[in-house]
Amino acid sequence: MRIVVAYQWACDPQEALVSSDGKIDFSRAKPTISDYDAVAIEMGCHLAEATGAELIGISAGGEAVATAIATKAALARGLHEVFVVSDPGLDSAGTLATAVTLKAAIDNLGDVGLLLTGDSSLDSGSKTLVAVLAGLLGWPCVTDVMKVTMDGDSLTIERTIPEGIQGLHLHGPVLVGVTSDAVKAKVPGMKDVLSAGKKPARVVSLLDLGVRLPGEGEILSVEKMAGPSRQQIRINTEDPAQAAAELVSALRAAGALDA
Amino acid sequence: MKTYILVANDPGVGGLVEQAATWGQPVVAVVVGSKDLTQVAACPGVDEVIWLGDPGNHGIEAFASSVAAIVADDPGVVLAGRRPSERVFLGTVAASIMAPIITGVQSVSFNNETVVIKHGIYGGIAVATTQFEGPIAMQIDGGAPVVGGGTAVIETRSATPTTITVTSLTPPEVASVDLDTASRVVGVGRGLKRSEDLGLVEALATRLNAEIGCSRPLSEGLDWLPRDRYIGVSGAHIAPDLYIMIGISGQLQHVSGCRASKVIVSINNDKDALVTQDSDYILTGDLYALVPALSAALEKS
Ligand SMILES: Cc1cc2nc3c(=O)[nH]c(=O)nc-3n(C[C@H](O)[C@H](O)[C@H](O)COP(=O)(O)OP(=O)(O)OC[C@H]3O[C@@H](n4cnc5c(N)ncnc54)[C@H](O)[C@@H]3O)c2cc1C
Repeated sequence: MRIVVAYQWACDPQEALVSSDGKIDFSRAKPTISDYDAVAIEMGCHLAEATGAELIGISAGGEAVATAIATKAALARGLHEVFVVSDPGLDSAGTLATAVTLKAAIDNLGDVGLLLTGDSSLDSGSKTLVAVLAGLLGWPCVTDVMKVTMDGDSLTIERTIPEGIQGLHLHGPVLVGVTSDAVKAKVPGMKDVLSAGKKPARVVSLLDLGVRLPGEGEILSVEKMAGPSRQQIRINTEDPAQAAAELVSALRAAGALDA
Repeated sequence: MKTYILVANDPGVGGLVEQAATWGQPVVAVVVGSKDLTQVAACPGVDEVIWLGDPGNHGIEAFASSVAAIVADDPGVVLAGRRPSERVFLGTVAASIMAPIITGVQSVSFNNETVVIKHGIYGGIAVATTQFEGPIAMQIDGGAPVVGGGTAVIETRSATPTTITVTSLTPPEVASVDLDTASRVVGVGRGLKRSEDLGLVEALATRLNAEIGCSRPLSEGLDWLPRDRYIGVSGAHIAPDLYIMIGISGQLQHVSGCRASKVIVSINNDKDALVTQDSDYILTGDLYALVPALSAALEKS
């Protein structure tokens, strides 16, 4: 049986510069394995060790995802091998197109009993990929997962929902979205980095998999995110008590303390 | 095109109903949950309720493919909130009708089969205006619970849940909160040195009759506060009359969750902290002096 971890090689948007005309510049940013997915990989390592399953990383993206830096960074975290779909068309792929691509990768691998991934995407912050992928595969999906134990195709899962910690039992294949604090992702050491170079990394194109990307709308314009403009009134804080009194009267006048 | 509202065992879908009602298209609520929930989902603005049954000891997500089958019969615009099971419903439905899925929605306009959506991208650093043809799935803040009182017909359909069995539920040690609807929030970040010092923030929140929120590191990583208390792109989206940010630097991932606040106050010892750009009132200084002073001033007034 195979355990698959879907991971993202992307830039943290915190590093991006957005100019006033809406141009987004990622040139200052360095792509990494998403922190969220690093946690999923770590959990995958524990499960593969416990069950003897093969542990395969899959990723979909533009040319960057197929570079040796990217595949080694993933392999150094403990994956046994990686299967990467790289295509310039995937650079701007949204959730649906990414999910369609990952589904083709999973179909190609076969014998998958569990797919793990981080709950959130690094670059868009959207938490919907795992569910779209589940819909395409026709497999059940649970998110916000803290803990997974596996016995053959039988899975016991613990996850956090607004009502508390829920225990679940289900049968594979399933998709699991892992919370960012489920386990602590180890930072790869020198030995891990060296051995990563010897592990298999397969790179395929969309054409190889016979994937045609679905349309995801036409972008008409992009603007810089502008919050409502704020007053930015500085209150002198030399005397904390006086500053506090001044703030309280300002808030009262603004109606922010009513009711 | 019909508008579908996916209801996953929680009545907090007022925001979706409000949005959908402005589009003038038939609104269908697809409900997984108790019979009572179908009654409240039949609220003004909803034309039809389709009930797939009570989940019993099935996980809510076990109904995702049944929900998708209903929408796939007559694809349209699909809306769901941001709770875990709502996201799974939305994604599964989107896959079944091959609809793009959009988060961070700010506004929507229709022109026959064309939908134009303004939505945040890259975790809210920019806003794109995108035009779509045909079915589309959108994640929108759920908003307040709906309370029924409408005239919608309730139709029961049978579902075939997949095998996700709930075996246990341990309630959280502290009651869960819904920050999205709080009218005042005090948020605390990594400027706080020890979890024991949360008392300072609690005292202020009590004086203000406010809920306590935080930046993500305090609930995911430090574990000082429960996960439902962090604010930001991946956390709560708040819209209070007053938000006081204490020892929070104001990174965009946090700020995009509190932009809808009416008045924002920041307390930070760095006079150039990012948060100052998003503040109405800026108090530069040590939170350990300023927060108790503010509590005292509120007590006096
Ligand atoms: C994809 C993605 C999603 C994310 N989602 C979220 C999210 O939803 N919500 C979220 O909050 N974060 C989120 N983050 C993390 C976010 O980028 C920041 O790292 C986080 O918000 C920083 O938290 P902070 O402001 O508490 O800590 P810091 O950035 O460390 O700031 C601490 C602040 O406290 C001030 N300070 C220190 N001591 C004192 C003192 N004695 N008195 C007064 N001030 C003091 C400092 O000047 C500083 O400004 C996300 C990140 C990514 C990449």
